[in-house]
Amino acid sequence: MLDGEDGYALETAMSVLVKLGDMYGADKMIEIDNVHVDASTYAGIHEAGLQFCKTLARENARFRVPTTLCISAIDFSLWRQLRVPSKFAKKQRELAEAYASMGATPTWTCAPYQYGSGIRFGQDIAWAESNAIAFANSVVGARTNRYADLVDVCAALVGKVPRFGLYLNENRRGQVLLCAEAIETEHLSCTDYSALGYYIGATVGQKIPVITGLSPRPSIDHLKSLAASAATSGSVALFHIVGVTPEARTSAEAFGDSHVQEKISIGNEELERACIQLSTVQESQADLIVLGCPHYSVEQIGEAASLLEGRKVRGNVQVWLFTSRAARMLAEKKGYVKAIEAAGGKVLSDTCALHLPLHGWNFQTIATDSAKMAHYAPAIIGVDAVFANTAECLNYATKREGQVTCKSWKKR
Amino acid sequence: MQVLEEEIALKCHGVFAGKAKGEALVATQPISFWGGIDPKTGRIIDKKSGSFGKNISGKVFVFPYGKGSSTSSAVFLEAVRCNKAPVAIVNVQTEPLLIVGVILAMRLYSKSIPVVDRVEKNPCEVIANQDFVEVDADRGILVVKRARRMKEGPRLG
Repeated sequence: MLDGEDGYALETAMSVLVKLGDMYGADKMIEIDNVHVDASTYAGIHEAGLQFCKTLARENARFRVPTTLCISAIDFSLWRQLRVPSKFAKKQRELAEAYASMGATPTWTCAPYQYGSGIRFGQDIAWAESNAIAFANSVVGARTNRYADLVDVCAALVGKVPRFGLYLNENRRGQVLLCAEAIETEHLSCTDYSALGYYIGATVGQKIPVITGLSPRPSIDHLKSLAASAATSGSVALFHIVGVTPEARTSAEAFGDSHVQEKISIGNEELERACIQLSTVQESQADLIVLGCPHYSVEQIGEAASLLEGRKVRGNVQVWLFTSRAARMLAEKKGYVKAIEAAGGKVLSDTCALHLPLHGWNFQTIATDSAKMAHYAPAIIGVDAVFANTAECLNYATKREGQVTCKSWKKR
Repeated sequence: MQVLEEEIALKCHGVFAGKAKGEALVATQPISFWGGIDPKTGRIIDKKSGSFGKNISGKVFVFPYGKGSSTSSAVFLEAVRCNKAPVAIVNVQTEPLLIVGVILAMRLYSKSIPVVDRVEKNPCEVIANQDFVEVDADRGILVVKRARRMKEGPRLG
């Protein structure tokens, strides 16, 4: 493949993977079962990435393993309603066409582990998108390194990756013990897990945390929230929760032979600080409510629908829920989409508020129940952000007046 | 006032080959290119980064390590396409996210951006903004030059 006889596409892909392997001391290439491509949004990969993908497609390059796509920069059905310039939509459609011709599955979601890509324990895969990587490694016990945009494309073209990092048992052991025993974990919401993850990522940075004291067992949506925010404030690709995640049935298993070098107790003060830090304003009017980062599950959409039941979103506020097209279809069957739309909210699929071009709206302040969204929105969208509970976001949106108040860990 | 030029050579690990030199821009906090840097201008847009408003374009960009989103590699490549990329990168520890951007910069745009890490002293502490830095990733050597007026600034090394 390296000598170019298979064409420019494969040669380029192989040279990227070989170089990566050299840099990290990989001993060999291994086969992977599937790929999740994050280089799926024009807003993320820009013109340079689009040119790369179009070149590959022009050469008739084909993905060798099942490949799912992360989010798009537009909702392919509702983009006009969202005031997306048609020139921009065209670029995203060109990218979609390039991926379709290479054989990708148009899942368009950042949470492919919920809808679109079945993965199992011990499997070698190559995933990109930081929340999906952390979820796949930690919650499922599948194995992937943190692939960058475009490396994912290379891996899908070759069907192999260099073996290093998290493909090896010895690199999956815990490095820092985080004890949650001192905090009340009885009735945590997804937003609480989002705040907890944000604290964890900021505390451990690049290390692998082992968390104890989380009881009762967190739900899949809880773990999704935690994975996303830990991978936002730190570069967490793998975490262990003792008694919950599959490589941590016991603390001893999570740490393997390595000794516990560092032990940190998670306290209410630290979590309160994480909540406060996430909001650029503590209390404010907001003109956009963003829910669904990562993409909401059907159950989360149902919860939002019931919070909005019998209410009406006020005139100058938008309520947007983000999810996958698969989850939206199921939520539609369950009547949730209709209920949310009746209240004046929108259920958007395929996309993300951080990638949609929003300049046509002139939003000043967003409120969101996601730490990841609150973290990135100020720089990316250019707005103030209020990190608040789901119910607070939706209460605010359906009140006649008043402000949205940022989340407090202590006053949950 | 007497102006002295101090010079210090540091051993490091070459992550991506090549030689480059330029003025240093030092970010003391880990950085995510996506949401952290505007590829069209090279400006640091992350207010939490501690280097908000500074420009990486044409600089030897010194930061601890990359963090956050996997879109960073593509943002980096777009900065290369727009001629707003740094000339070299110095990390405490380089992580895979950045590397594809550097590789494709070479393949698609024929631009060589050397990357080094594991410097014998913490580069974010030893190197200061506006120091002149020569990066030799082939030999694993970093030379830091600083014009120092008397009674000013910490002594190198």
